Amino acid sequence: MVFNEKIVDAGELKHIEGKIELYWIYTSGEAGDRFFKALKDEGKFLAAKCTCCGKTYFPPRIYCEYDFSETEFVEISGEGCVRAFAVATLDNNEESLKNPEIYAIIDMDGTDGCIIHLLGEMDAEDIRVGMKVKPVLKSKEEREGRITDILYFKPV
Amino acid sequence: MLMEIERIKGLNFHKKQDVAIVGAGITTFKRRLNETGKELSYYAVKQALEEAGLGIEDIEMVVMGSAPDAFDGLHMKGEYLLDGSGGSDRPYMRVFVGGGTGVFAPIAGYWHVASGLADVCLVVCEEKMSSCHPHPQSAFKYIWDPILDRPLQPNLIWIFALEMRRYMHVNNIKHEDIALVSVKNKANALDHPAAQLAERITVEDVLNSEPMALPVRRLDVSPPSDGASALIMVAPHIARQLTDDPVWVAGVGWALDTTWWTNRDLYFPRYVAEAARMAYKMAHITEPRKEIDVAEPYDPFDYKELHHMEGLGLARKGEAPILTREGVTARDGDLPTCPSGGLLGVGNPIAATMGVKVAELYWQLAYRAGKRQVAKEVTRGVAQAWGDLMQVGTVVVLSNKR
Ligand SMILES: [Zn+2]
Repeated sequence: MVFNEKIVDAGELKHIEGKIELYWIYTSGEAGDRFFKALKDEGKFLAAKCTCCGKTYFPPRIYCEYDFSETEFVEISGEGCVRAFAVATLDNNEESLKNPEIYAIIDMDGTDGCIIHLLGEMDAEDIRVGMKVKPVLKSKEEREGRITDILYFKPV
Repeated sequence: MLMEIERIKGLNFHKKQDVAIVGAGITTFKRRLNETGKELSYYAVKQALEEAGLGIEDIEMVVMGSAPDAFDGLHMKGEYLLDGSGGSDRPYMRVFVGGGTGVFAPIAGYWHVASGLADVCLVVCEEKMSSCHPHPQSAFKYIWDPILDRPLQPNLIWIFALEMRRYMHVNNIKHEDIALVSVKNKANALDHPAAQLAERITVEDVLNSEPMALPVRRLDVSPPSDGASALIMVAPHIARQLTDDPVWVAGVGWALDTTWWTNRDLYFPRYVAEAARMAYKMAHITEPRKEIDVAEPYDPFDYKELHHMEGLGLARKGEAPILTREGVTARDGDLPTCPSGGLLGVGNPIAATMGVKVAELYWQLAYRAGKRQVAKEVTRGVAQAWGDLMQVGTVVVLSNKR
């Protein structure tokens, strides 16, 4: 069985280039619609509590995935604790990032859920697992009802 | 957070017949191969048929495993790969659970034969990641929730950095303990003819390699690769005609945790523990650390080998780094782990890693692993993979005793 020697330049191979030219429109769903409207219009954070087992989902959902019961929306503070963090130095194409980006999983107060988002206004060396953080939102005029309406989380 | 296992119910098990593996094949794993995915599949199948002493006409059904369509750049990749996989004019299906596919495809092959639907089933796994530009990593941009995650431009590497951080934090593990896995596996791969990244490196090399998303550095990570692998799974009466030393499938298990991956604690792979519980129950294994002789846990990152050993019950929580440091997991140790060289050393063509997980275990238990053969006497081994949104565990237990 013969295989070519390691080839790292695609241009050396007989090949053609191609694209899949499509784009998509994603809807945010029933729970997402409520969540993003509250965030955009009122700067509030909503979670969803299961009416059967009491598990509180964040981000909110209309159903409990474990007992298949309905949930009800509850307001939460939006604050939380850093569960884990990563300091990204390369982008998706493995190009160097000029300014490393710090991503964290944030354990949201008053819920059984977490969110993944950026950390800001702090140096990587100062971040600790368990650290208390709060969200920094765009101004009301700039908010579009997207997860990026939260700019980042910063230390409390 | 609920972390207990044994949530999964109803592991009822009524098989029609036992299942043996009688042949395996693997292509070279490389960053970029000239061969198309169909051609790679053909080479792997040809090798497996040769080892089994069978022809393609003897194959009754075919299972194909391949990960996201985005790598090859074709939707319906299963159909595209059909002819090179020996699937023409046969019952053929593609299975796909992301990175878990390399062990899930043989599980699907197992149920084809165990159910009595087929007596001879060919399992083929293929991945051609090099077609995808600007980098195969870009394809992973599109596995996230489009509303909640994707606007933040997540990258798979830093998702794993979060998990590695959590594992290190909860168990108080240092990066140098984790780096030993990369050192071991890349050295093991020196004896693998298909290897892409076999080399002798040191812990310092790992700790000083290029930062990707800290704590993850370049040498903590397996490379994207092109490659294919194949297995032949047969009923007992066929195995008897072909060989005196078949390797038997003693147990299979798989489980998925919630898609909301941020909502689980990341330090322990509960989904692997559930999948292992299912496979061990089937294989009548109650003390895996004592009853498993050789292991091929999924190692796309060095910390994942440790994480998965703990999920598989081969080490207590936080104990896997200690076993590694003590040489227990070396090829001449008491629990040889990734004797193939794993994904870190041989390469990571996602689904095709079946060739360094289940196929390696088969070769080890058949005493056909050549220079890679572990020192100790072996009867039973476990292979495992992991994938989707860090949520699927797939486990196969093999034994050379029926
Ligand atoms: Zn509930």
